[in-house]
Amino acid sequence: MALNYVIKYAATNTYENFVDEALWQFLIAPLNAKSQQVISSEFKNSLHIPVEKSINGYGFETFRVHPKKRFKSIDFEAEFHVIKDQFNPFEKTSDLSIEEEISELNSLNFKVEHSAFLKSTTLTKLPVSHEIDFVYDEEVSIFENLKNLNNWIFDIFSFKTDVTDVDTDLDMILEEKQGVCQDFTHLFCAIARSYRIPTRYISGYLHQGNGYFGDSQMHAWAEAFIPGCGWVGFDPTNNLIAAENHIKVADGKDYSDCPPIKGIVYTSGKNHTKYSVEVHAQQNAQQ
Amino acid sequence: MKLNTNQPSFSSYKRDNHLFDEIFTKNDEVKEVYKTLLNLYSEHSIQDYARLNEKAKASFFNQGITFQVYGEHETKEKIFPFDLFPRIIDHKEWSHIEKGVLQRSKALNHFLWDIYHDKKILKQGIVPLDLINSSANYLDQMQGLNPPGGIYNHISGTDLIKHSDGNYYVLEDNIRCPSGVSYVICNRTALKRALFGVFNHYQTHTVTDYAENLLEIMESVKPQGVDNPTCVVITPGIYNSAYYEHSYLAKAMGVELVEGRDLFVENDFVYMRTINGPQKVDVIYRRIDDIFMDPLEFRPDSTLGVPGLLAAYKLGNVCLVNAPGTGVADDKAIYTYMPQIIKYYLGEEPILNNVHTYHCNRPDELKYVLENIDKLVVKPVDEAGGYGISIGNKLTKAEIEKVKAVIKENPRKYIAQPIMSLSVHATYIEDSQSFEPRHVDLRTFCLLGKDKSFVLKGGLTRVALKKGNLIVNSSQGGGSKDTWVLKK
Repeated sequence: MALNYVIKYAATNTYENFVDEALWQFLIAPLNAKSQQVISSEFKNSLHIPVEKSINGYGFETFRVHPKKRFKSIDFEAEFHVIKDQFNPFEKTSDLSIEEEISELNSLNFKVEHSAFLKSTTLTKLPVSHEIDFVYDEEVSIFENLKNLNNWIFDIFSFKTDVTDVDTDLDMILEEKQGVCQDFTHLFCAIARSYRIPTRYISGYLHQGNGYFGDSQMHAWAEAFIPGCGWVGFDPTNNLIAAENHIKVADGKDYSDCPPIKGIVYTSGKNHTKYSVEVHAQQNAQQ
Repeated sequence: MKLNTNQPSFSSYKRDNHLFDEIFTKNDEVKEVYKTLLNLYSEHSIQDYARLNEKAKASFFNQGITFQVYGEHETKEKIFPFDLFPRIIDHKEWSHIEKGVLQRSKALNHFLWDIYHDKKILKQGIVPLDLINSSANYLDQMQGLNPPGGIYNHISGTDLIKHSDGNYYVLEDNIRCPSGVSYVICNRTALKRALFGVFNHYQTHTVTDYAENLLEIMESVKPQGVDNPTCVVITPGIYNSAYYEHSYLAKAMGVELVEGRDLFVENDFVYMRTINGPQKVDVIYRRIDDIFMDPLEFRPDSTLGVPGLLAAYKLGNVCLVNAPGTGVADDKAIYTYMPQIIKYYLGEEPILNNVHTYHCNRPDELKYVLENIDKLVVKPVDEAGGYGISIGNKLTKAEIEKVKAVIKENPRKYIAQPIMSLSVHATYIEDSQSFEPRHVDLRTFCLLGKDKSFVLKGGLTRVALKKGNLIVNSSQGGGSKDTWVLKK
């Protein structure tokens, strides 16, 4: 079984004064991976500037737009067709015993191998000032614990836009108990890493079929590395195990490793950016 | 031949038996290599010498060989004080240094390859993982990348001192953007101009071949498929403290000196804007720190770098010299593992000594440091240029308490070492109008390329001009001497 998705990304940037020089890099193309296959990928802009394909520092595909003429407004439009395998995320559990899992987490070899996603970053630093009442249950598996963590974040924190921004640290999120998907993902990464579980931040798209949060914007969730099992996606914003509704673009230690857009723009005055995302699914596509 | 304090030029020369004197033995005998020099000097009065010294200084200033000192409130342009009394190193002593420096440079390159690939040295627990994880200079973006020719630290500058036991010790290996080589060459030019009659009595190795070797090293790590690589030097600009050096090296190599805005990236290739249109650039000697290199990848507000440079590098279309992320190995905490690193990768004993180091992140060593601050030099692990160093025996009680508090706050940030007695060398002191002993160190310059290496036969002997001062960095008021490495 497979799902056929059409993802539409659109953005409009307008500037009060002429922009003399600009360069944007978009990290929005779905990743071509085992469980998700990119059939087509198109990226256009209203100024008809040739789009360059490149990579970010971690090797994920990017689009670059570098206008050579002055302008005051530019629209971007991308469309991707993706085929995603359907699978039961609960099938993917570890063959290892609880003791074996933990002893693997504690081995130096494992810690070195996964050091990038065990580090605490500015955005995933747990503040000492807040007590976290999530409790890791040593009687159950890592997978069960991460499900509990997912659930814990979903229960305690409420989804609210415009209270946080891309630089908001965990201190503020724990204080306010609200935020958006990237905040919850940062919190998930921080807590999981504090239990020595390698965890990475995922930037991508969510097909919100059933009214999940993370609708008209890009979505964020976490992937944790479970010994004997591999990377498993957890979406604390929706209390889901990531599966066929989650279309991955890139991963990183936190948001700052994989923001959807980076730009260097030389202009004065005000500017305005708006963007939207639509994800449409067609069931039972032929593969 | 003996030290003669009746001679006016040496009337203020007080030899200290606790220190290693480069010129005189413990019995005040002039050492063999300096005999000819002192004989020739004795034919002249100290006034002649003072006059030559003034001329040499003026020539530095007129050539614009200056550097900038960053202060809290202002930045000053200074000439690098130059002392005409050269340091002489005989062939045998030098060959030991040369082998040792090259050994370290190669070991560091192996280490960098390993920590950006399989990380075997970490998995085996020889170097603690924490050290790498907590290093701000480790770049995750470099993981798994194979730099052209397998080289990370193309250019390294190892700082050595000679302790009172007469042995050389390494103080640190600088592999980010070690500067100073242009002064080595300028010092030689100035010395030859002022004292050719002395210089020509010695068979000294040239230092002017540095630039041609640097260019060869750069060309050796050209990207695949390029026949005649275009090399450039990129500088942060005229306000950088080492701008003179950047311009000197570009000129001496016959390559362009560029700033970030002179370069651009298109379809993952790097081009230089020239009056004849864009020209592809293949190898970049970058004198810009990692975080300013590419605003798309590192600091977004950097105007010094080139957007897209890291991707072009990762895709193998341009070579960066030194590679991004080499700074992780020039961390002063990594330095303390150098003996293990050398043994691990090369299976050899270290040729040059390391100074014993106490790690403040180890509880028992931290305890020792806190109890013995007066006998130790405390250094932050990640600051360059002699900033943030405290020397125990120079501190008041109140200052000791302050240093203790600073260390306790962030032990990982500090290491401590016994106070090493840097050797002393005769140096012309304007105030006393005579030669006095002053502390010196030695910065060596080593180049690594694909199947090629080079150690400059000479170096920058830095001298602490203030009496008793141990910090020789130019930013801390140090001067320098020409350094002669004698032929066999």
